[in-house]
Amino acid sequence: MIWLEGVSYLRAGSPALGDVTLGVSCGELLVVQGPTGSGKSSLLAVAAGVLAPDSGAVWIADHNIAGLQASSLPYVRRNVGYLPPEPLLIPDETVLENIMLALAVRGQPIDSAEADARETLAMVADSAWENRPARSLSTGQQRLVALARALVGPPPLVVVDEPASGMGGDDRDGIVRALVWARERGCAVLCATSDPSFAQMLVDAGGRQVHLEGGRIAGAPAIGLVPAPVDFPEMDMGTLTGFASPFGPPPATPTPLASLGLAIPPAMVRGEQSSPAPHATSERGPEDADSAEAIRSFDRRSSGEESS
Amino acid sequence: MTLAWILRRARRQSVSARRALWGAAGSFLVLGLVSGATVLGLRATRGWMSTVGQSVHVIAFLRDDMQPDQAAQLVDLLRRRPGVARARLVEPAEALTRLRDAARPLPDTGSWLDDLEPGYFPRSIEVALVASLDLSQRATELSRRLRGLAGVADVDAMTDGVARLAAWVRFGQRLGWAVVLAAGIAALSFLVSAVLRGREARRRQAQVLVILGETSGNVRLPASIALAAAGLAGALAALVVLRIAWPALLTAVERALGIAPAPTGFFLSFWESAAGLLAAPVLGWVLGYFSTPVPGWVDA
Repeated sequence: MIWLEGVSYLRAGSPALGDVTLGVSCGELLVVQGPTGSGKSSLLAVAAGVLAPDSGAVWIADHNIAGLQASSLPYVRRNVGYLPPEPLLIPDETVLENIMLALAVRGQPIDSAEADARETLAMVADSAWENRPARSLSTGQQRLVALARALVGPPPLVVVDEPASGMGGDDRDGIVRALVWARERGCAVLCATSDPSFAQMLVDAGGRQVHLEGGRIAGAPAIGLVPAPVDFPEMDMGTLTGFASPFGPPPATPTPLASLGLAIPPAMVRGEQSSPAPHATSERGPEDADSAEAIRSFDRRSSGEESS
Repeated sequence: MTLAWILRRARRQSVSARRALWGAAGSFLVLGLVSGATVLGLRATRGWMSTVGQSVHVIAFLRDDMQPDQAAQLVDLLRRRPGVARARLVEPAEALTRLRDAARPLPDTGSWLDDLEPGYFPRSIEVALVASLDLSQRATELSRRLRGLAGVADVDAMTDGVARLAAWVRFGQRLGWAVVLAAGIAALSFLVSAVLRGREARRRQAQVLVILGETSGNVRLPASIALAAAGLAGALAALVVLRIAWPALLTAVERALGIAPAPTGFFLSFWESAAGLLAAPVLGWVLGYFSTPVPGWVDA
């Protein structure tokens, strides 16, 4: 689903990420655990298409989004449920409207968006908040609302940064349940936390953990086993094609990428970087030496883990 | 985002930023009033200047013993004089007719005017001078010369009326332009300030929508729609206010200046009104579009 390959990112001139390679497949929950300042937020922002990496590639559904024109990025982002480190809500809007906005950009009809938003809010937080303006909530409550907005739909890729920061026991359990719920619906879930106990809760719930330190993956391999292709029986792919026009519904026949819930206009892909992603599930051959090496490395590690 | 969502966002943004939006609509109203009043004012003063140009500046009343051919020669001489735009002989019958025409709208004047005979009025020569800033002095000078002629009983220079009006109209035009400029700048400043007041809220909304995957065009659309609607509302209000207030204002000014009223129905043409009603929403749209900051890659 998502494959970060040799990603580096400089924050204010100093390296925040150095040559990070990791992948998350559909129906997988990957927990990135590391201390404050280890580069988790940068990694997740790059994965969500919010920050541009300084080098490396971010492959989502056969497209390197690092090579996309700025005008193409919205078509990627609307398929990613992203919870930033600070819960970014519209303060004057109600909680429900804030959650519905994620579905609005995907072109979902208002009535069904309202129903979906209510359902997700009830799962993650408290239904009684729905008509409260976002500014009236505490930071923790805002974080839960922002998490509900990231999960509503749900989108094919969920990227959540410190979802349990400052949360108590019940809230943490609820967050774990919500992330597992998304994973069970076929989403690729990438979650960052600095809290080892919360990371352990996610691992206990079936997640895979990697440790990030100093902007580099440490310990266990970042590239895990890619499970068998996951179907999306409960997802309405028609709403996730990304071509919602203000003057009409999305096209009736989505591009092949819609099978992953993603659609990026081919004309908007810059230069040669629109070549297929060299991730492990691809049956197509690599188009350059780096990609080939990455796949060989992945294959070696995968087969090593399978035999052990 | 579909059209239904964009309209919903525009409506909700308008409610949450209603004070800034009312400010913008008020600014558009003032801009519309200034623009409309400028067009109408220019047209009115042009009409007044035309009246001044066609007016009579000097009247020479002739003695009864002056022969018609002598009067005609005097008119011919006056026409050749530099600075004289027009000179014509007015016979007593024409003078009486004019008096009756002028007095017709007044009540209770018919009976005694009917008894008057043309012989009551002297023959006269009406002289109109070329309009200029020293028109008053030239009229006085011409009057002095005419008084010295044999056969001229009396001369009225009329400098207190029409010549003074011409000077006032010019002064009024200059003052009007200064007022228009000041009001235009003030309204534009107020409009820009009203638009910028909502900028921070729009920046936050744009940041959220960009992260959620909205295109930059659609991020800007709700603010553009809201400000275009404010522009249209302001322009419509300005048109209604001008339609109601302008005739009364014009009549009051004309009465104060003592000049003939403009014809009824004197207002902006259909195309002028349409241009105003189109320009305001377009300006609002552009302001809404460019005052919504939309990042490409977002700085998390």
